Amino acid sequence: MAATNELTIERRGHTRSAARRRANFVIFLGPAIVLTVLFFVIPVLIDIAVSFTDLSRSLRITKFTTEQYQRIFQGDRRLPQVIGLTFIYVFGTLAIFNVSFGLVLALATTSINKAAGGFFRGVWLLPRMSPSVLYILLWLWAINPSEVGLLNQVLMHAFGLSKPLDLMTAAPIALIIIANGFIGASLGMIIFTAAIRGIPEHLFHAARVDGAGTLAQIRFITLPALRWPISFVTIYQTLSLLVSFEYILLLTKGGPFYDTTVYALYVYRRAFESGQYGYGAALALFLIVIGVAVALLGWRFFDMERLLQRPRIEVL
Amino acid sequence: MLRWTSTTVALLAAALAGGSAGTLVGVMPALAQNTIKLELWSRQDPSGPLRAGNVVKAAERLNKELAAAGSGKRVEIAVRESPAPGFDDDALQLLKVFGIGHGPDMFIAAHEWICAFQTDGLVLKLDDYIAKYPQYFGTIFPSLWESTKCPDGIYGIPQDAEARMFFYDKKLLRTAGYDDAFIEAMPKRTLSGDLTMDELIDIAKQAMDKTKAQYGILHRPNKGPDYIMVFQSYGNGFVDPKTGHLLLERDKLAAAFGWFERGVKEGVIPANNTAMEFDALRKQFYAGNAVFWMYGIWDLGTYAFPTYGLPSDEAGFFADWGWIAAPAPKKGGAPGSLTHPIIYAVAARAADPDLAVRLLGHASAADLNTDHAVTTTHLGIQPEQLEDPRYAKAWPLARATELLKITRFLPNNPQFGDLNGIIFRALQGVETGRLSANEAADFVIDEATASLKDVVVK
Repeated sequence: MAATNELTIERRGHTRSAARRRANFVIFLGPAIVLTVLFFVIPVLIDIAVSFTDLSRSLRITKFTTEQYQRIFQGDRRLPQVIGLTFIYVFGTLAIFNVSFGLVLALATTSINKAAGGFFRGVWLLPRMSPSVLYILLWLWAINPSEVGLLNQVLMHAFGLSKPLDLMTAAPIALIIIANGFIGASLGMIIFTAAIRGIPEHLFHAARVDGAGTLAQIRFITLPALRWPISFVTIYQTLSLLVSFEYILLLTKGGPFYDTTVYALYVYRRAFESGQYGYGAALALFLIVIGVAVALLGWRFFDMERLLQRPRIEVL
Repeated sequence: MLRWTSTTVALLAAALAGGSAGTLVGVMPALAQNTIKLELWSRQDPSGPLRAGNVVKAAERLNKELAAAGSGKRVEIAVRESPAPGFDDDALQLLKVFGIGHGPDMFIAAHEWICAFQTDGLVLKLDDYIAKYPQYFGTIFPSLWESTKCPDGIYGIPQDAEARMFFYDKKLLRTAGYDDAFIEAMPKRTLSGDLTMDELIDIAKQAMDKTKAQYGILHRPNKGPDYIMVFQSYGNGFVDPKTGHLLLERDKLAAAFGWFERGVKEGVIPANNTAMEFDALRKQFYAGNAVFWMYGIWDLGTYAFPTYGLPSDEAGFFADWGWIAAPAPKKGGAPGSLTHPIIYAVAARAADPDLAVRLLGHASAADLNTDHAVTTTHLGIQPEQLEDPRYAKAWPLARATELLKITRFLPNNPQFGDLNGIIFRALQGVETGRLSANEAADFVIDEATASLKDVVVK
């Protein structure tokens, strides 16, 4: 009888723990799953469905067709240029600003005294904290192609430039990389700063005792400790740069001509400026595929699985 | 992003017409037995606030007419304003709104879009109504009805017309060494086909070289009708007369793009014209920093007089300013101008189509249309308006009417709005040095044949 009771209790315990596990699953993973389904899976399914239709400016579907895909592979002469530009934009912004400059900022602001470091980090966070429209409005004022633009005032009065500079026409790609980079650098700066702060102080003391200079300390202590944050920032920012275009749209509208029309903006221009929603959906599907592929490749390339297993900085 | 501003428009209408806010009483009857609510879609447009305002005022007249006829019906108007930056964006927005079943009962559109609505069955055919109500529509200029026609009939009511031209700054030309005889003869030389598009660039160049003017020729920075005037001058009609399909002729396209290319090469048209702000461009011209400004007659009443302080009397204006039509491409060729009527249309699913048409009929009354014409320097739609002393006093209207003899329309093809988007992108490509004139012609043909239907290429 006693044994039966114990068994019952144990079973109840099992039942309880199974119920608890289910409850935990729903509580902890449920919201994420619901959000993923609502804002990723369902939109992707709708996008796939729309891409096989002729949905156009009056939002009517008259037939199901594969002609949008035929157009992508056969008829769209703008695509190679757009894809090439997207590569330059994503790689340029990442390499120059989001990773490299973010790292420089983190190294610089952690090597000076705390208050000054905090102040400069605060300054570099300003672009990210500003609403995008305001941020771009400041850019437009600064690079105004006439002599009243801030940049031109400086160049003409301080450096004696004779004619005002028109960056929007002369160097639009550099412009969108810089405008996006000033925002992107701050994320890397914050994450790298936190990681640098996490490196045990004694490693630096020991290195100094061994005669290591600043550069040697960065190379042999700081950078190895930052491998994981750098991997994360690279993957995260690649995906972010691939799909976001609001700063470009506000700053250059994708122009002049198609010079700053990156892939995501191209999808937008096709769908919403020309009312070719079916074609825009087909183009967007490739963006989803590219995004997933880049995420998986990055995961593999940077061995992110190991990163997520246990903390790396503490074991150094 | 739409705002309900019937009150604002009504007040504005009342104020501009010299009336009073009392008009609102008629607009929204408190105790009408059978009130039919009609919604009007209108773009927020400082160059034509009375397009919607006149419809609001017309409701008062229609309600009186209904009351006099013993009808229990009354109309109530709501104006739904879209913030679209131009008529093309506005039409695309409205097509989407209709697509999801939330369209208005009436709308205001640029004429070349009407057949896009007609193709999708979104707009009411008006031939029978126009025949039924000659008291409203009988005297509207026949030429203007052409702009409201699709292949099977009339789908819109002309609301206004205008003339497009190249304004020029006589002070700069005088400073550059041109004598008064030359300057004053320019409009006539243009009309006779003696002054050519290339000479326009040469004059602008000389004026820039010999004065402090930084710009030679400026044009609108966004997609719109004005630059199409240049394409038409070079023989681009854009519609195949045999089939009614869009027509693209490579050589004629390249010739028109070539004019812009040469303008930029000579430093006369700024390479960044399409990157500049509308107001900045306008300001450059009216402040004496640009020789020519390719735009339209309404700019005088809307901006030049009130904002930039140009003399609003005829003699004062023509002392230092002037305008010419779009010149011929070669000596002896045909000059041109472009009129771009804005039209009223009734939705196919309007709550009460008959009342909507009658309402728009009242809004087209000579006195109300003259209010719009004289306050924004747009051309009227009926001969009666010419007898109105206010209209006669508005000298820019009378002077611009000369250009109607050589004016052209944009084609009423349902895809022309899309084609114009492609032409604008190519134009931007040419001016910024991304495309040569020939490449721009190829770009237009490639893009149009890939994304539009039934395009005839020659």
